[in-house]
Amino acid sequence: METNELQNLWKKADQEINLKSAAELNQILATKIRKTMNKFLVILGTDVIVCVGLIVFLVITAFNRQGDILYQVNNLILGLITLTALLVSILSWKKIHDNKYNLSVKDWLEQRIKLLSGWLLGKYSKLYIAIIPILLVLINLSIHVYYEYKPFITVMKDGESIYGLIVGFAVGLVVSLYAMTKIRKYQINNLEYLKTLYSSLL
Amino acid sequence: MKPGKEEFLEILKNYQGILHKVNLIYFRNKTDREDNFQEIVYQLWKSFPALKNRNSIGSWIYAVSINTSLMRLRNQSRIEFREELPDSIDTIDIMEELSINEQFKLLLQAICRLNEIDKSIMLLYLEEKSYADIGEILGLSSSNVGVRINRVKELLKQNFKNI
Repeated sequence: METNELQNLWKKADQEINLKSAAELNQILATKIRKTMNKFLVILGTDVIVCVGLIVFLVITAFNRQGDILYQVNNLILGLITLTALLVSILSWKKIHDNKYNLSVKDWLEQRIKLLSGWLLGKYSKLYIAIIPILLVLINLSIHVYYEYKPFITVMKDGESIYGLIVGFAVGLVVSLYAMTKIRKYQINNLEYLKTLYSSLL
Repeated sequence: MKPGKEEFLEILKNYQGILHKVNLIYFRNKTDREDNFQEIVYQLWKSFPALKNRNSIGSWIYAVSINTSLMRLRNQSRIEFREELPDSIDTIDIMEELSINEQFKLLLQAICRLNEIDKSIMLLYLEEKSYADIGEILGLSSSNVGVRINRVKELLKQNFKNI
């Protein structure tokens, strides 16, 4: 088939396409905006509920253990990490959704690759390996010490408590690292896909 | 309705054929095409305030549509590279939607066998866009576009033979 024939054939699709009215297009846009907003509110809501819930727990338990400085320091560090995590997750979400699609395909791919590479291979990309264990230790300690009804230092000297903490920590660590590895693997595949597309434009 | 929105919807109404054509080459399933149409409309709306050059509305719509489709393909994990495609490509959905003839079906099948970037090059070529416009949409130089079009045309010919 000659090139002109192909172009003429392709033009025939124009007559077949069911074009939408302005009202229908407006409806499509309104539905999509509503869906996106709802998705954002669910993510933000879950984040806020979990983080605020944890912070309320930390404040109440710290208040009930006013004489236990070590316990309060533990809760304070945990509270600060939780607040930072909340802030980072909201900013990351915003960054993903601010992604500009109105660039040439090559520039858009470049921008996306840069963003993903920063997250997956950048300076702080492996920070989670340190943060997750620290968070797990702090959360375990906060909950365990509080429900043992004993001072922080006493619990730390109790062999049975230490054993329980180690088991809780190990289980939490395996689950968290497994989830993180899965997420990273998915994102690395994403990055590879984008790089493949980009290389075919070079 | 806001004045900006009215203008946007008017532009969209006049150029929506682009969205349908991009969907046609990237998605075989009607639901995917509808979802992607919705996503493209949303991405166009988001980037509409940044549209400065009203002389290149078509290029803007093509770029946003192609970028959005590429992202959606990845998110759905439905990337199909040419060599991984089955022999018979399911175009039943498209045929039901459009009363296309056998030749158009063959053309669509041949395009579907191209990789994602080549599909967009062929689409823009079939839409009779100039090399400069194709270059602007894809981010390539005009001379590079010429070379690529010839290569993709050859691939398309081969695909026709293999169907």
